[in-house]
Amino acid sequence: MKLQHILGGLEGLDPVNFETEVFVEPWEQRIFGIHTAMMALSNHLSESLPDYKIEEVPTQFDSFWTWGHLRMGAEGMHPFEYFQLRYYEKWLGGISGFFVDEGYITQSELDERTALFLEDAAAEPPAPSEAATAIDTQVVKYLTEGDSPKRPSPATPKFAVGDQVRIKNIPSGEHTRLPGHIRGKMAEVVKVYEGAFTYFFPTSDGIGTPMPVYSLAFKPADIWDESLIDPKSVYYNDIFEVYIEAP
Amino acid sequence: MPSNYPGFGYPEDRETLSAAKVKALESLLIEKGIITSNTVDTILGHFETKMGPFNGAKLVARAWVDPEFKELLLADCNAACQQMDFPEGMSGAEGEHMRIAENTPKVHNVIVCTLCSCYPWPTLGLPPYWFKDPTFRARVTREPRVVLSEFGVELDDSVEIRIWDTSAQIRWWVLPMRPAGTDGMSEAELANLLTPEAMMGVATVKV
Repeated sequence: MKLQHILGGLEGLDPVNFETEVFVEPWEQRIFGIHTAMMALSNHLSESLPDYKIEEVPTQFDSFWTWGHLRMGAEGMHPFEYFQLRYYEKWLGGISGFFVDEGYITQSELDERTALFLEDAAAEPPAPSEAATAIDTQVVKYLTEGDSPKRPSPATPKFAVGDQVRIKNIPSGEHTRLPGHIRGKMAEVVKVYEGAFTYFFPTSDGIGTPMPVYSLAFKPADIWDESLIDPKSVYYNDIFEVYIEAP
Repeated sequence: MPSNYPGFGYPEDRETLSAAKVKALESLLIEKGIITSNTVDTILGHFETKMGPFNGAKLVARAWVDPEFKELLLADCNAACQQMDFPEGMSGAEGEHMRIAENTPKVHNVIVCTLCSCYPWPTLGLPPYWFKDPTFRARVTREPRVVLSEFGVELDDSVEIRIWDTSAQIRWWVLPMRPAGTDGMSEAELANLLTPEAMMGVATVKV
């Protein structure tokens, strides 16, 4: 487990920076858009619940790309570098690295083009291709129809509302949805979500195949040591079944 | 023995370098036929008109004036969206499974995503920077009353604070309390009072 998996409850930090802008630099919008386009054009959408004819979309993108893939990049970072970089700086590094690693572009192409734009900030990107409309139609279709992870439940949920459960402590591997600050802790099941939830691809810590998800309530005294505790608070988290065991 | 870690140094051209790099990446992706020159703008435009806090504001205003609708919104947020005159796509990307938590005089709710920045796009749009900031994510889980007070929300010690973290695929947001002095207001006027922060639990609604 890395520091970026165990943010909850860190002590000794500064007051919150109340920056309400979504993007603090104009360039950040572009990397957000590129990531969202990758999700909208991901080749796994052929198996999604909405009827995406993704193989007919005239894009050269032919990769599997979800939030989990983006986060794997952030979780793979040196923990200090993770905290050094601003939110979209991490995206820019991870996504451009992905396109180079997968052979869509080369590092020297990227470096040369970057140098060109550094020299001439007014230089314009190329004109659109013939297939422009169909790619953008798919992007809007994805934003509109989404990619629901909900599937029919393959088995009865192991736990019920009111059960006391313990959170397992499983090695994080390269990607996890189990935060560090609740590992090994006790919680109460307050809701069993209907159906089962896929994670689209398997992780080494066990999510991926459709499984129940629970809303769990944690008492602060069960997850934090005394300092900074707010006794009149309840911390909730939605947790995949594979991360939970009977106490 | 000194650490091998070089420390948090930043190049002087930090932003111009990122701006040039993302522009280079986008132009290469267009050239290679991965996206088009309209793709990024199409996505950004979608968040200006189709998905955004203007939708959440209308849902909250309706819930304030219609108790039956409020029940539905609390029980099934996605079903409640269907009853509104919204653009198509309220159960689209990052809104497939939404839940809303209701503030009352005794209970105050706040949302967080400690692992990343999960957020209900159709009802709230894209998350503000403070929500993505590691300091907020770290502190609100453990000392929520102090953090809320830094945001200007002063809660009595008797008010229970519920913190909703998002480690699976449910997207949470908050139904704030209707402020006093709004009795004669129309739904549209009420919707105008709402901010993303009020619908995330770090602000109260002001008249």
